[in-house]
Amino acid sequence: MAKKRDTRAHLASHLMYGVCIAAAAVIVGTLVLITGYLLAIGLHSLHWSFFTNLPRSDPPGMRNSIEGTLILVLLASVVGIPVGTAAGVYLSEYEVDSMLAVPVRFVCDVLAGVPSIVVGILGYELLVVPAGTYSGWAGAMALAFIMVPIVARTTEEMLRLVPRSYREASIALGATKARTIVNVVMPSATGSLVTGAMLAVARVAGETAPLLFTAVGSDFVVHDPAKPFPSLTLRIYELSNEASPAARAQAWSGILVLVALILLVNLAVRYFTRRRVAR
Amino acid sequence: MTATVSPSSAGPMLRRGRSGEDVLLRVAVTGGALAILGMLATLVLVLFVAALPSMRRFGPAFLFSSEWRPNALPVLKLDGHGHTIRDPRTAMKVVDHYRAPAFGAGASLFGTVATSTWALLLAVPLSLGAALFLVRIAPVWLVPFVSFLIEFLAAIPSIAYGLWGMFVLGPWMGGPARWVRVLGMQLPAGIESRIGALAIHVPGLRWICTTSVGGKTVLVPPTGRDIFVAGIILGIMIVPIITAISRDVLRSVPREQMEGTIALGATWWQSCREMIFYCRSALFGAILLGLARAAGETMAVLMVMGNTAAVPTSPFMAGTTLSATLAGEFPEAATSDLQRGALMEVALILLVMSLVFNIVARYLVIGKWQPSAATAH
Repeated sequence: MAKKRDTRAHLASHLMYGVCIAAAAVIVGTLVLITGYLLAIGLHSLHWSFFTNLPRSDPPGMRNSIEGTLILVLLASVVGIPVGTAAGVYLSEYEVDSMLAVPVRFVCDVLAGVPSIVVGILGYELLVVPAGTYSGWAGAMALAFIMVPIVARTTEEMLRLVPRSYREASIALGATKARTIVNVVMPSATGSLVTGAMLAVARVAGETAPLLFTAVGSDFVVHDPAKPFPSLTLRIYELSNEASPAARAQAWSGILVLVALILLVNLAVRYFTRRRVAR
Repeated sequence: MTATVSPSSAGPMLRRGRSGEDVLLRVAVTGGALAILGMLATLVLVLFVAALPSMRRFGPAFLFSSEWRPNALPVLKLDGHGHTIRDPRTAMKVVDHYRAPAFGAGASLFGTVATSTWALLLAVPLSLGAALFLVRIAPVWLVPFVSFLIEFLAAIPSIAYGLWGMFVLGPWMGGPARWVRVLGMQLPAGIESRIGALAIHVPGLRWICTTSVGGKTVLVPPTGRDIFVAGIILGIMIVPIITAISRDVLRSVPREQMEGTIALGATWWQSCREMIFYCRSALFGAILLGLARAAGETMAVLMVMGNTAAVPTSPFMAGTTLSATLAGEFPEAATSDLQRGALMEVALILLVMSLVFNIVARYLVIGKWQPSAATAH
C-alpha cells in the first residue's frame, strides 16, 4: 500500500519535473518566435531610405521619427536622471530609515508601477491644456516622470553596494559628507549608475502610451519641442492602423530598429556590469 | 613651520566652508526625494479634480454602468399603443425628449478583469514552472543565459507585442480553422474556431464560443481581435516579471528547508511544493505585480482588443479595457467636459487599482527581499 503511494508520488514528481522544463522551454520558444518574426519581416522590409526619408516621401522613411525619439529621450533624461539620482543619493546616503525616507522609497516603487497611459494623461492636463497645443515638452516631461522612480531606485541600490569603508576612509581624511559622496562614493559606482540610467533610457525609448496625448506625432522634421513632436513609437502605432502592406512593412521596420536599439543597450549594460563584477 | 592650527581658531571657518557644500548637496538631494512625493501627490490630485464633474454626475454607479454614450440619445414620442408618432407635415418621427449623454466604466472594468484573468491563467503556471526550472533544475551554465532571455522579453516595448499580436497572433487565433505555413512549418490557424468546435459539445463551456443575440444563442465568429488574444499577449508580457521575482523569492528559501524535506524522503516535486508553500506570500506578491502590469498595459491591448464599448459575453468577442478606453477615446474628448471628466475618472480608477496592487504586492514581498524598480517593469 505504502509502496503504491510512493510510486505514485514519484510518478507525479517526474511529471512535474518535465512540466517545469517544458514551461521554461515554452517561454524561451515564445521569445524566439516573436524576435524571429521581427527579424524576418523587419529585415525584409528594412531599406536605407528608412533612415533618410520622411513619411511623405517616396519611398517613405522614418528619419523625423527617429530624430524625434532621440530628442524626446534626451530631454527626458536631462530632467529625469538628475532628479532620480538626487533622490537615490538621499535614500542611500542621507536618510535610510527616517520618517521621510521610508515613504519616499515606498512611493518610488509605487510610481514605477503606475500605468504609463495615466502619466500621459497627467502630462496632457498639466502641460498640453494650459499651453493650448500638443508639444514635445509635454511628451518629454511625461517620459521624465517615468524615468525618475526607476533611476532613483537603481541609484539607491547601486550606492548601497559601495563598501562602507570607502566612506569611513574619506571622512577620516577630513572630507565633508558632500565631498565624500561626490568624490568617493559616486565615482566608485559610476559604471553601475550609468547602467541604471541606460536601462531607464531604454525603457522610455519604447514607450508609446505617455506620448499619445502629449507629443502626438508629426510627419515632418521638428526640432522645436514647443510643437507637436514626432516619435518612432507613435509613428509605428499610426502605421499599424493603416491597411496597406507598405505601411505594415514600415511599422515592422520601425519595431526592428526600436528593439535592436533596446537589445543593444541591454547587452551593453550586461557587458559593463559583468566587467565590474569580475574586477 | 609646524602649522598646527588650533581647533578653536580654524574650526568655525572650516566648518562654515564645509557646511556650505554640505547644505547645498543636502538641499539638492532632499529636493529630489520630495519631488518623488510631489509627483504622486500631483498625479492623484490632478486626476481627482479633473474627474470631479463625472463623479458628481454619476456617483458610484459609474463603476457598474456599462453605458458609454457621448451623444444625447433621442427618445421617440409614443402613442397609447406603443407606436411612434409621425409629424403630419414632415412625416418625421416625433422626438419626445433627449436622454443626456451617459458614461460608465462597467464595460472597461469588465474587460480589464477578463483580460487580466486570462493573462494570469496563462502566465502563472508558466512562470512558476520556469522559476522552479531556474532554481532547482537548470545547470549552472544555463541559468544566466535563460535569465537574460527572460529579461529581454521584459525589455521588448509593448507596441512590439501589440504589432505582433495584431499581425501574427491575431490571424492565427481568429478566422475559420485552417492550416498555415509559418517559417516553413505547417501550423494550425483559426485556433479559436477549433477551441469553439470543442467547447460547443461541453455543456458547461458553451459560453466560451456563444453569445445571445435577441434572446437566441448563436456562435461567435472569431475575428482574432478579442479578449482571449489580448489575454494571451498580456500573459506573454507578464511572464518575465513573475518569473524574475519568483526566481529570486524561491532562491531566498533557506537551503535547510529543502534539504530537510529531501532527508525526510520527499520526492523532488514534494520538496518543491514545500518550497513554494514556504514563500507563498512573496510568490503571491510576485503574481500581484504581474497582475498590476497586466491591468495597466495599454498599447498591446489597444491593438488587439477590437475596442467596442459593450460588455462581451464570450472571450472570443471584442471588448475594451480601462487603459484602452483612455487611449482610444481621449483625443476626441476635449469637446465635452462631461466626457473628459468620465475619462479622467477611468484614469483615476486605473491609478487607484495599480496603487492598491502595488502596495499589497510590496507589502507581501517586502522583508524577504526588495524588488528593484528595474524588475518591477
